[in-house]
Amino acid sequence: MAHRNLLYLLSLKELRTRYKKSILGWAWSLFNPLSQMLIFTVIFIYVFKASAPIGDPSGLKNFPLYFMSGLLPFNFFSITVGVSIGAVQGGAGLIKKVQFPHEHLVFSVVVAQFITLMIELTMLAVAMFIGGNNILPWLPLLFVVLIFLALFSSGVALMLSAANVFYHDINYLWGILSQILFYATPIIYNPATINLRALVLIANYGPTGSFITAIHNIVYDLRVPGTGRLLELAVIGIATFFFGLWVFNRLSPHFAEEM
Amino acid sequence: MAAAALTVDHLTKTFRLHSEKNNSLKMLIAGKKRNRYEEFTALRDVTFDVKEGEVFGVIGENGSGKSTLLKCMAGILQPNAGSVHVSKRMSALLELGAGFHPELSGRDNVFLNAAILGMARREIAGRFDEIVEFSGLESFIDSPVKTYSTGMYVRLAFAVAINVDPQLLIIDEILAVGDVTFQQKCLEKFVDFRNEGRTIVLVTHAMNSVKDMCDRAIWLTHGVVTGEGDPAELVEAYTEMMLGDRNRNEDGSVRRGSGEIQIERVELFVGASETPVKRFRTSDSIRLRLHYRAEKSVPKPVFGFAIEHLGGATVTAPCTRDVGLLPASVSGEGYVEIAMDNVAMLPGTYDLHTSITDFNRQHEYDNLHLALRFDVMTGKPYETGGLVTMRPTWTIQS
Ligand SMILES: Nc1ncnc2c1ncn2[C@@H]1O[C@H](COP(=O)(O)OP(=O)(O)OP(=O)(O)O)[C@@H](O)[C@H]1O
Ligand SMILES: [Mg+2]
Repeated sequence: MAHRNLLYLLSLKELRTRYKKSILGWAWSLFNPLSQMLIFTVIFIYVFKASAPIGDPSGLKNFPLYFMSGLLPFNFFSITVGVSIGAVQGGAGLIKKVQFPHEHLVFSVVVAQFITLMIELTMLAVAMFIGGNNILPWLPLLFVVLIFLALFSSGVALMLSAANVFYHDINYLWGILSQILFYATPIIYNPATINLRALVLIANYGPTGSFITAIHNIVYDLRVPGTGRLLELAVIGIATFFFGLWVFNRLSPHFAEEM
Repeated sequence: MAAAALTVDHLTKTFRLHSEKNNSLKMLIAGKKRNRYEEFTALRDVTFDVKEGEVFGVIGENGSGKSTLLKCMAGILQPNAGSVHVSKRMSALLELGAGFHPELSGRDNVFLNAAILGMARREIAGRFDEIVEFSGLESFIDSPVKTYSTGMYVRLAFAVAINVDPQLLIIDEILAVGDVTFQQKCLEKFVDFRNEGRTIVLVTHAMNSVKDMCDRAIWLTHGVVTGEGDPAELVEAYTEMMLGDRNRNEDGSVRRGSGEIQIERVELFVGASETPVKRFRTSDSIRLRLHYRAEKSVPKPVFGFAIEHLGGATVTAPCTRDVGLLPASVSGEGYVEIAMDNVAMLPGTYDLHTSITDFNRQHEYDNLHLALRFDVMTGKPYETGGLVTMRPTWTIQS
């Protein structure tokens, strides 16, 4: 790749400037999911008296762990898309002055967020171990699923960040859409306990639902998701990525004059 | 005939002008509304090429499409029709500064920018010191560039752009913001570049730089090429157009200024003769006489002459303030005379520009551009090149 060096530097910039001028710095990237976990745990267990699903075959029954194993990958997806939209919009200074492959603005966000996710998942793995699940042997499979998730996230990010250059509504729309998706994805609930058919369908078979369900299978239940499921994720990931890249490359030559 | 480093072929670029930026979905959903825009043609059927090793100027008034042209060359804007072909490694500095990330330090931006321009990390590291030294920003290199002044920003951008070893350098208005030292450095660098056979395309409003440095130029008016060729001639035509026909006299001179005191006419005499002439020889003694008339009393006027070679170089530009000749005020009619003995100018055609300004040389009472055109004929000594002779004495030791 001709601009490998550029991707490296942009990713580094993405990682370094994020928590600049903050005292706690990187710790913030952990506080956010932790505080969400606390809030939802209290609300669901103590207010709604909901109970955590039981891992099959792991037998694990722990709401915070269930919640975190869905939240971290979902956050990776939604933050990657949101930050990418901002990165392309905020890249105006570069885009208007120099010619370079604009998609690297998005890829650098994906790389930086993926590294962040890896760190978070390492912590989760430790927590899982303490809770009784040894996910070490499952990591290669998890990694494959996460690669598909990264491809899927890149595709959506490429599409929306390019469209946002022309219609800034995309940025605001994504704020709402990602919230809706959060509730349409099995993170704070177990689809098996819900009797709203439409939601169960979306949660089980929607793109984000499929990814999170597969990840739950691997790290919470400790079993291999069905071959059909894995195949679905591969197709969704690869197809979304290439479609997103195609849309982005169609639009990016016109970025400079729209900005 | 040198090969073309850059070819611009029937280039047309239009912009859509929306009444206001309608980057909203409402407009997309409302459908038709988005189509209600006006097309604005910023460049129309522009064709020219730049040869290898040439310094090529682009001139034109504000909004004539110079920056748009350069952006099309750099591949930042997509032409609607026609094409641009660049055969060499190119580095472009567009409209005051390269793309920098404001939050990053100068150091990080140098690496980022050089990476964008296609350099490998090791290559950049090898040149980093040179870049910083050229920019003269050693003590600021680790501060975020958002704290830089406009000039500092441009210095760093320029330092990167020329150190990535480009064969074609595209520059939009950079000399305007640098200080004298930096402008000097840039000019020296341009000369080096030219001597190394590299190509430079330059947009600037500094007409003297165009005349001094460029081998060829084009003149854009409202996106159309109105002239191409010899920079000195183009600059003259352009300056004349900009200053307006209104101020143009029948003898071809151009006048501007507030007019409290006016230059009536300018005469050239040779020796002690009182007959005005238009030519003399090298080593003649001459006098230039500027007749003025002031409607009212003008305090501390400064009279200035400038002799410019047709090629654009200013040979000499004395003014009365330089020698402390400062009348408290002048009114009515009179003349100012400047005598020059044993004139060292070599054969050629020269223009005389004259002006009367206030003491600070800020306010122009009157400025008569091209007040007089005269020829210097072959005299003694004679030299084949250059504008003036230093009356040298030669020795050859063998
Ligand atoms: N992105 C854009 N959208 C719409 N119009 C534009 C855009 N960029 C430039 N223009 C228009 O194109 C014309 C040419 O602009 P350009 O910047 O090329 O002028 P210029 O010759 O560089 O002027 P200056 O001497 O002031 O730098 C101007 O009328 C400008 O309004
Ligand atoms: Mg311009």
